[in-house]
This record gives sequence, structure tokens and C-alpha cells, in this order.
Amino acid sequence: MSVSVNYTQSPEGIIAGPVNEENFFEWEALIMGPEGTCFEGGVFPARLTFPTDYPLGPPKMKFTCEIFHPNIYPDGRVCISILHAPGDDPMGYETSAERWSPVQSVEKILLSVVSMLAEPNDESAANVDAAKTWRDDRKKFEDIAERTVKKSLGL
Amino acid sequence: MRSALLIAFSFVLTAVVVGNAYYQKEQFYPSVVYLTKSNPSMAILYLQAFVFVILMGKLMRKIFFGQLRAAEMEHLIERSWYAVTETCLAFTVFRDDFSPKFVALFTLLLFLKCFHWLAEDRVDYMERSPVISLLFHVRVLSLIGVLGFLDLYYVNHAYYSTLLKGASVQLVFGFEYAILLTAVMMVFVKYVLHSVDLQSDNPWENKAVYLLYTELILGFFKVVLYVTFMVIMIKVHTFPLFAIRPMYLSMRSFKKALHDVIMSRRAIRNMNTLYPDATPEELQAGDNVCIICREEMVSQCKKLLCNHIFHTSCLRSWFQRQQTCPTCRMDVLRMPRPQTTQQTPAPPPQQNQQPAQPQMPNMFPGMYGMPMWAPPPPLPPRGEVPPREPPTPPQSPPSTTPPAQGQAAGAPGASAPPPPPGVGSPPLSASMAAGASAAYANPYSSMFSYMTPFAGFPQPPQNMQGLSEEELATMEGRERQNVEARIQWLRDIQALLDGAMVLINQYNTVAAQTSIPGIAVAQTTQSNYSPSSASNTTQPTNSNADKTSSQYKEKPISKEETKSNTLSSEQTNSSVDEGLSELDGAVGYTPPKEEFIPEWDDPRNEEHQDELHKIRHRRLQRFSEDNNSIKKEEDDLEMD
Repeated sequence: MSVSVNYTQSPEGIIAGPVNEENFFEWEALIMGPEGTCFEGGVFPARLTFPTDYPLGPPKMKFTCEIFHPNIYPDGRVCISILHAPGDDPMGYETSAERWSPVQSVEKILLSVVSMLAEPNDESAANVDAAKTWRDDRKKFEDIAERTVKKSLGL
Repeated sequence: MRSALLIAFSFVLTAVVVGNAYYQKEQFYPSVVYLTKSNPSMAILYLQAFVFVILMGKLMRKIFFGQLRAAEMEHLIERSWYAVTETCLAFTVFRDDFSPKFVALFTLLLFLKCFHWLAEDRVDYMERSPVISLLFHVRVLSLIGVLGFLDLYYVNHAYYSTLLKGASVQLVFGFEYAILLTAVMMVFVKYVLHSVDLQSDNPWENKAVYLLYTELILGFFKVVLYVTFMVIMIKVHTFPLFAIRPMYLSMRSFKKALHDVIMSRRAIRNMNTLYPDATPEELQAGDNVCIICREEMVSQCKKLLCNHIFHTSCLRSWFQRQQTCPTCRMDVLRMPRPQTTQQTPAPPPQQNQQPAQPQMPNMFPGMYGMPMWAPPPPLPPRGEVPPREPPTPPQSPPSTTPPAQGQAAGAPGASAPPPPPGVGSPPLSASMAAGASAAYANPYSSMFSYMTPFAGFPQPPQNMQGLSEEELATMEGRERQNVEARIQWLRDIQALLDGAMVLINQYNTVAAQTSIPGIAVAQTTQSNYSPSSASNTTQPTNSNADKTSSQYKEKPISKEETKSNTLSSEQTNSSVDEGLSELDGAVGYTPPKEEFIPEWDDPRNEEHQDELHKIRHRRLQRFSEDNNSIKKEEDDLEMD
């Protein structure tokens, strides 16, 4: 039940906190594109929705901006294994060892997302177009990423 | 905006059509007749009716829900698609009954279904919504009341209409509404649970348990309803294709609920009984924040076998979802059982006895880890099986054995009580007694000498009194695997015994034909094997090798009985005897049945008699050598 609010200790490049004081089950996060990647410089807003049984169940994360990435569904939902409850396996490849467990904190989730931005996993694509572009036409992928970065900054 | 335009357009169209009809006919009844006869006007009127339904839905939504949340809307649309598809499928089944009334009934059903889903979502939202106003309670309660009443009314209606008019499409409605009724009940139970939870400041730990059980019970009802529906539909109409998907889903969720309940119960029971409470020192030693609730652990904590410590209540709710350690994901159901020696000191040999894995790669090495061979010292009397532990005089076998054997000669195993397993297989021995010639003698002695070289059985713990009930239970094992393994062993043993009997018989036949004193070899092995009172009984039997076969049926048994008595009283680790005398006490033991006994060919018809003879001879020699060494060991033991 208790979601720890930790504004101060959030890792570099990440800001996260509840949307408002009334509902601690909705968080908003701002994630900066990791340096040295094609997402560098971008600031991507996302929304974290915690289930009532958190931390027994995983939260959901959804980018509220446009982002073209193999592991992010076109509608912005993030697809990483630690956010999947052990029961469901949308991609059919994950072992239960890499699934959600109460040990995962918001911080760890966000860090995983940052590393996912840096290193897309095209083996289990949520956005097949993005995965194909990433694999076959890296130049085009970078162009699109640059565009999303600019868009995220409102340019 | 667009929908408002469409609605306005529909109203205008209807007004035009009705106005036109009235303008043409100028009277009420003719214009109504005109409207119903004209297909285009009817189409427009149906459209208008549909618009009314939607408007009605909006009104109800306003009353009962207010603004819908995005997630609720999403769910609604997603489920509506399936429901519409299934309704269309249902239309194909009932195409003969197709009429506007029929369509209207289905629309109503869909309409009510939508509200059931919304109610479900709303009550789920209750749990996470920060403030629950009075309005919310009023809305939810009135909605549940209205939906429950409507469902009941329609179930009732369908029931009576089916009774009066026979099976019709009302059957489908009846079942649909019955299933919706279970959904309403589920929503109501959830509502009550959440309300109770909200009353108190602290989270209510047992809520999840109640939810799980409610889900299980209502899921069961649903499955029963669907199956009944399916059966009736197949009998009355045809295969109800439209019910397949919801039926599958409800079955799956029921299975999942059942699985969850069973696994979580097992894990929680494990937690309560097997895992130690964390001591204050352990809590002090490390980071004492429970990883699940991120609060400090002061009391009521459990330590898992992987040494991770959590709040008991947190662990319980986690085990309801998953049966692993939250930190290292070690499977709590597969965890090796904690060494019971932690609590009660046990003798050192006991530790070796702890079965590492109940799975046995093959029969004999597996027996090292087999707990069942450790006999509890006082064998409780076991029903009709003749108890063997009181040392009976050598010449008088237990009372039930001779009748069993006598009957076995006539009708093997037909009406006889389950034979004492230690005796081997009476039907076989009886048939052999009938088939074998006068040279048939003393099969058991050679049989046991045949068995002993394999006997790598573990030594039972010497002082059973030192073991606690728990340890004994651990050694015995209760899981299905253990029981299955045990039965398998017993079957293996039986097969070996039967095989030995066949060999003995062959040998004796050969010995009789070649006039080699077949008893001689067997006799030595026997005397080597058990030097005490057993050999005393062996001697007379062997010397009276030319007795009639009826006597032989009795004699070997008595010898075997006495032998096992002496052996068990000596507490030797002669495993076969141990095993045999323990069989009747073993959990999962089934008395040998006839179908397990391999058919044997009459050795006299055997073609390779000479070869067999040689092999047999060599074997016996080797066994007698082995027995010598065993005898030495026994002597050593006795010396101790």
C-alpha cells in the first residue's frame, strides 16, 4: 500500500512523483534520453499506474509522448519483462525469473526503462516496425529518434 | 458533437416519416398500418429505436456512474465487440425465431451486460480511489440492486416460459441472465469486502483470501452453468457456438482460481509450519526493512530457507499470487525441507537418512534415500494382515497363513484375504507346488540368497525413540511422488521375487532330472544366511525332500515366517526381510494382485535346460560366497 515518495534520491536523468496528492496510484515521470544514444537530449514524459495491490502486482507504464522504439507499443505502453506479472507472458519468451517481484522499486523500473531506451531489445518487439527499422535501417531509426527528441522538447 | 448531430438527424427522419404517414392517411390507425407496411419507414423507426436505446444508456450512465473513466470506456468497448459478435452467432442458431421482438430482447441483454461490466470496473476502482463519497455508495448499491432484480426477473421469466411453451430462445436468455446474476453477486461481494476494508485504517489482510474463495465458488457456479447450458443446447437445438468463448474463459479462470487457492494454501501452510520466525538478532543484523511493504520489521516475521526475512502478513499475500521468494525467487514449494535437526537434535546417522530427492534414478541406488525402510519400532497392528512382530514359535506359523495357502492351491487368490505380503505370491507358489516335482524344496532360502547381493539398503536409524513425530513424517513422506515411488519399489520387489521363484523352480526341475541333490546348494546358502533358529527349521524340511506337495505348501511358509521373525528380532539390516515385514505397514501398499505376476513357462518345456542349469549353478555359488561375507558382518554386529 505504501508507495515511497522519493523525489530526492531519484537517479540522474529521471524525475518521478505522484500526479497529485490525492491519488498516490498515479505517477508521472520525466525521463531524459540517455547520453550517447539517439535519444540523447530528449525529455520523455510517462505515466505510471500502480495497481491496488502494489507492490504485489506490477505497475503499468505508458509514455505520454510520441516515441518510436522497439519495446514501446505504438500507443506508448512500455513492454519490459520486469513489468509483467508472472502469470501473463505477452511475448511468450520470458522466464519467471525476469518478471515482476516486490523487490523492484519505482527507481529500478525507471532505470530499466532508461537502459531499454539505450539498448533496444529487438528480439521481443512491441513495435514491430520500430524493431525492423532498428535492425535493418539504423540510419532511418536515428532520424526518427531525432525527430521524436525534438518533438519532446517542443521544437 | 458528431453523435449529437446523428441523433438529431435520426429524430428529424422519424418525424418526417411519421408526419408523412399521418399526412397521407390523416388518421391514426391507417397511418400506423401504412408505417408497418412500408419497409423504409420501418428501417427508420428501428434506427430511431436504436438511438433511444443509446440515449437511455447515456441517461443510466449519468445516473449510476457519472463520468466514465478512460479505462472503463476502453473495457466497455473491448467487451462490447465480443458480445456483439457472439450475439450475431446466436442469431444464426435461432434464425427461425428471428423477429423484432427477438432482436429487442438481445439488445436488452447486451444493454444490461454493459452495465454489469461497468459495475464490475467501478467496484474494482473503489479499492484504489482515494476518497469514496456517499454518492458512490448510493450509486453502486442501487445499481447492484437494480441489476440483480432485473437478472432475477428475467431468469424467472425464462424459466416459466420454458416450462409453459417448451424450449425456445428463452433458454439462452435464462442462462445468460443466470450468469449475469453470478457476476452481480461477485460485484456485491467485492463491494462489501472493499467497504469493510475502507472502514478500518489498516489494510485488511484477509480480504484477498475472501476474494480468492469467492472467485473460486462463483467460478465453479459459472462453469456448472455453462456446462449445463451446453448440454441442454446440444440436446435441444444445436451446438451453441456463441457460448464457446465465455465458457472457455470461465473454465480457465476457474482453473486458475483453483490452482491459486491450492498453491497458496500449500505455500502458506509451509510458511506457518516449516519456516522459523525471525529472531530479534537476525532482524537487527541486517537491513530490517520488509522488501514487500517497505516498513520496518519488528515482530511477526518469517525467515525463508534462503534466509530472506519478510513480514508474515506480507509473505502471505505474496504467496497468494506466487509461491517464490520475492527477493531471490526461490520456489518455496520446491525448497528442500528444513533440517528438522535445527529444532530437535537427532542422531548423526539420521542426517544421512534425509532424502535429498524423492526421485529415484533406478531401483537399488534409490533405496539409499528411501525413508520407508526405516521401521518405526512398535508396529501398530494392521487390520487383517497377520502381524509378524511378536516372535512366534518357529514351528507354528501365524494362524491366517495356512488357510490362505490352502485356498490358494484351489483357487489362487480368489476368495482368500489379501495374503501377507511377506509370503510372496501365493498363487504362484501354489501353482509351482503343483507343477514342480518332488525335488521342489525350500524355495525361500535360495530366493533370499538370491536377493541379498542386491541389498544395498540403508541402515535404519537405530534409536527411533529419539525421533520426533515431525521427523518421522518427513522420513515417511506424504507426497504423491513418494507414494508412487513406494508402490513402484514394491512392484519391483515383487517382480524380483517372482523371477526368483521361476529360477528356483527351473533349477529344482533340472536338479530332479539330473539327480543332483538340488537342495544341497540351497541348504548351504540357507544355513550360511541365518545361522540361528532359522537354520534349525531348514534342516528338517530339506531332509524331508520327498514329502507330498501339500506339505510343501505349508512348510516353506513356516520357515519364512520364523526366519523373518528371528531376523527382525535381531534388528539386522537384511533388507529384503525388512522390506517384506514392513510391506503391510507401508503407506500406499497394495496387496499383490494376480495381474502383476508374470506368466511363467513350465521349465520342463524349456529347451535350454543345460545352459540354464550352468548359469544357475554359477549364480548360486556366487550368492553363497556373498552370503558368507554377510554372515560375517552379522556376526560382527552381534559382537557389538
